[in-house]
Amino acid sequence: MGDSSSASYIRMVQHLIEKCLIFQMTKEECMEALSKHANMKPVITSTVWKELEKENKEFFDNYKRNRQDRMSESETTQMIQNMISNSSRGSSLDD
Amino acid sequence: MLAVSSFTSCINNEREGEMESFSIGVHDDFSCGNLLDDIDFDDLFIGIGDGDVLPDLEMHSDMFADYSFSGGEESEVNLSIYAGKVEESGSSGSGLSLSPGEEIVSKRDESVKAINTVSADRGRKSSKSSQGKRKMKVDWTPELHRRFVQAVEQLGMDKAVPSRILELMGIDCLTRHNIASHLQKYRSHQKHLRAREAEAASWNQRRQIYGGAGGRGGHNKRDVSSWIAPIMGFPPPPPAHMQSFRPLHVWGHPSADQSSVQHMWPKHLAHSQSPPWASPGPYPPSLTAPPPPDSSYWHPHHLLVPNALTQGTPCFPPTLAPARFPTPQVPGVPLPRPVYKVDHMGGIPSVQPHPHAPLESHPSKESLDAAIGDVLSKPWLPLPLGLKPPSLDSVMVELQRQGIPEIPPT
Repeated sequence: MGDSSSASYIRMVQHLIEKCLIFQMTKEECMEALSKHANMKPVITSTVWKELEKENKEFFDNYKRNRQDRMSESETTQMIQNMISNSSRGSSLDD
Repeated sequence: MLAVSSFTSCINNEREGEMESFSIGVHDDFSCGNLLDDIDFDDLFIGIGDGDVLPDLEMHSDMFADYSFSGGEESEVNLSIYAGKVEESGSSGSGLSLSPGEEIVSKRDESVKAINTVSADRGRKSSKSSQGKRKMKVDWTPELHRRFVQAVEQLGMDKAVPSRILELMGIDCLTRHNIASHLQKYRSHQKHLRAREAEAASWNQRRQIYGGAGGRGGHNKRDVSSWIAPIMGFPPPPPAHMQSFRPLHVWGHPSADQSSVQHMWPKHLAHSQSPPWASPGPYPPSLTAPPPPDSSYWHPHHLLVPNALTQGTPCFPPTLAPARFPTPQVPGVPLPRPVYKVDHMGGIPSVQPHPHAPLESHPSKESLDAAIGDVLSKPWLPLPLGLKPPSLDSVMVELQRQGIPEIPPT
């Protein structure tokens, strides 16, 4: 039953990718994570990812856009954090 | 207590037509304690063609539950004898005496031994006598299961009692007990199936809601984040005792690592046979059995989830709670967190304030590890996002182009 085992395998890969999507990963991050944690050949990950992208264009468009936004926001956040901790370190703890 | 009276009437009712004067002559002999000795078993089979028909008795296996058999082959008190027809005829006196009364109990050994010889190969699949159990291992082939389901559907789920199912199936080597336990598994599987369907339905619903609602709100930067469906059916990752990481499990793949996975499955599922539901390939006993592909995924004929791991409620991954934010909040300084975006998704009912579940772009290793492990160990879980799956052919072709000829890879 090569066919159904392929199908279930691919489904599993999709499942794994979806988990990575929940983690807001990029394709490359996903490839790495699955390779590391699930022994998944990166080429398989990337192929299935690309196929998923084709099939779910809208989702992925949104996904990428959101990621951009979120990335920049968290960068800003990080920056602010640093600024604050720097400044508080600078001044003595008289607050 | 041996409900022999029902036993008796059962026989009389069902078999009057077939046997002549199946009168239990022993009735007269109650007074003595050697009922079985006095009974000439051959008399019971007068008029029955050799090996032809024996009472299709509706014996309840738990009738004998209390009796301890001193015979060595207790497991062979194969009540299938009674549930079915015994082709090897009663020459060895397999008919159990029908005399009422507990005297029968003490005589059980004799009849047991007699039965044993008959039952020697009757319906004995893979059970060993050393088991000491009274259950016979039934090979639930797809065909057998199909008939089972047919019978159940005919009767209706609530009315489907093992005895009736047995009747409808009309298979000799099945006992009521076999049916009963199979029925139990089937029911629990059905329940799980319904739960999952309901869950999937509710996701789709909510996704639609969010699709509409996501447009509003002050976020000029972003468009509808409808696709990052807030309700992720993210099952709670298993507690941190996640086992050491296993290689990728592939269903039906012979070299799949069987030792690792599941302890999910109760022991009695760890047959050497495939359950009827596991249509793709062999069923490695301890491994989660492979569900058939995709669309027919949780068809009733599929593998049962014994633990009723109900992923019924879409829930948020607890480990991805705010505590996981990589940017520790400086006390007293409210920082704009990505999470606040959700405030703009005003009217969504019962949404936890963390729609984008793991908000950090670099997830913690443990939660990622746990999530991945979850997928690998529980392949039956629903897809968290439920993206439209790509066409299998297209994927396979592309993979082959990339130099992966075989899926799953060897």
